[in-house]
Amino acid sequence: MEGLRNDGRRWNELRRIHCQLSTSSTNADGSSYIEQGFTKVLCNVTGPAEPSSRQKVKQDSATVSCEVYFAAFSGTDRIKRGRNDKKVQELQTAIQKTFSSIILTHLFSRSEITISVHILSQDGGTLAACINAATLALIDAGIPLKDYVCACTAGQSTSIFDNEGASPDPWLDVNYLEESDIPSLTVATVGDSEKIVALNMENKVRIEKLEAMIAVGISGCAKVRAIMDKEVRRHGKQKLEAQGE
Amino acid sequence: MPIQIIAPAPFVAADEEDDEGGVSLGLDNDGDIAMDGDAPRRTVGRQTGGIVTPGEVVTEDPQWMRGHGTYLSQPLVPGGSQSIVSSLAGTISKTNKLLSIRALKFRYVPEIGDLVVGRILEVQTKRWRVDIAAPHSATLLLSSINLPGGILRKRTSTDELQIRTFFSEGDLLVAEVQTLSNDGLASLHTRSLKYGKLRNGVFMTIDAGMVRRMKSHVLTMNTSNGGGEVDIYLGVNGYIYIAKHTTPLTESGGPEGKSVSITRLEEEASEAIYSNVNEEISPETRAEIARIACVIGALARNGVKVDEEMVHLGYEAALEEFLQGLEWGSDGEAGKRVVEAALVKRREG
Repeated sequence: MEGLRNDGRRWNELRRIHCQLSTSSTNADGSSYIEQGFTKVLCNVTGPAEPSSRQKVKQDSATVSCEVYFAAFSGTDRIKRGRNDKKVQELQTAIQKTFSSIILTHLFSRSEITISVHILSQDGGTLAACINAATLALIDAGIPLKDYVCACTAGQSTSIFDNEGASPDPWLDVNYLEESDIPSLTVATVGDSEKIVALNMENKVRIEKLEAMIAVGISGCAKVRAIMDKEVRRHGKQKLEAQGE
Repeated sequence: MPIQIIAPAPFVAADEEDDEGGVSLGLDNDGDIAMDGDAPRRTVGRQTGGIVTPGEVVTEDPQWMRGHGTYLSQPLVPGGSQSIVSSLAGTISKTNKLLSIRALKFRYVPEIGDLVVGRILEVQTKRWRVDIAAPHSATLLLSSINLPGGILRKRTSTDELQIRTFFSEGDLLVAEVQTLSNDGLASLHTRSLKYGKLRNGVFMTIDAGMVRRMKSHVLTMNTSNGGGEVDIYLGVNGYIYIAKHTTPLTESGGPEGKSVSITRLEEEASEAIYSNVNEEISPETRAEIARIACVIGALARNGVKVDEEMVHLGYEAALEEFLQGLEWGSDGEAGKRVVEAALVKRREG
């Protein structure tokens, strides 16, 4: 088929996004679940609470900490990833840095906000799904954020020309096959503005392609925000109706 | 090779109004991607009187003052006007010229006079640290509890050495928020016979926002099936304790009706007040305590605020469900049915 990717999407098509708030009724303050295609992520947020250790106490703001857990069955191969795994630590740092700047931490001095992310299934765009899930869980927990943080991936086919002789379009929201095949990046923005809070790329790409990739990623983020916003409103409306009865 | 057909994903009703279904980016005339980000941010919640979400501009009008749950945006041009932006998902509340956002779900923020149920985290030299589900743990000073031997007794160094005989780690207690420091740290007191150590029951937690503030947060319920009376301590912080009823020693007097002097009363009370031993609780009472706990849990899970009326109605509905021969936990919908039945009862009055 002309112009379609291996899963039948066009270059600018997102995968199906399904999200839910307040998924866990345990002692987490906020929780969420997100599916982006076959990437499935669960997130719990606790806090602001008493810091778990002395080092985490900041006199004038809250500490944001992040724990990432890969389910052993989440990928194509069964891999157990421990606490000190490079991949786990990289994700933790990325999520923690992203949200430290977005959460209004100055409102909660000497406390800690813990984001714990459980990756249940990986099909490309794991970091993006983690960031989106964390945003929803933080909103559910009632923690003040400057805006939604939305993340999306974009890839670039390595061929110089497509069939018509033009330079190929970047691909939005790459899946696992595409991610292992072509260079891709993850971009996270503040809401639907063009302010980037996280940008992560693990491959090499021609410099002139980069701008188009980022641009496609940013507009993907705006779409993701709209989808998440709709779910937050739906959830909120449902909750208000129940309380109003 | 057999052909495998994967069932399509179920249609998501939430996408109904969205013409694009959130899956494609529009192209404008010259083939570039249409940048949705350039459009001004919507202010939907304000118009519909519904919900605002983080990043939504609440107002650009400079006459409003910003309250909780909002922040001032950076002006687009230097010296330009700042707008009030929401930082939470919740409803707008206006108090005169103060705009604030009340979140749908939030952690407990202590206020003076709140009745809270807490758990001792740590024993220090002259105080306890108590978990009350707030951002910071509260403190309970040795001087703000009822010491055995009467209210007028002087606190001695022996009491400091025996601090664990009053409360030790893990003990549950009901207390009142006495003072708040500048940074919101709560200090508790139990200097009333209404407050003190909890026993003879079960502890449960719900979201802090799900407990409606009432005149009294200690309920005594007459239960059926030979359960006798049951006390419910509905902590404002979302911690709840449900226990077998014990006759409180009130200042009106002892069981014979003649009044006891306050000091004598304190002495009598103090002997039992810090005991860690549960009384004998009959299986009937245990069953009714469990039923009440399930009702409160079901109310909170289904988004109905817990208050005295709802606990009573929910309990009645649960009993009716029980009489129909359905057991709790036999199916996942029982809680929902009970809550709905309770709401019907409330509407009927």
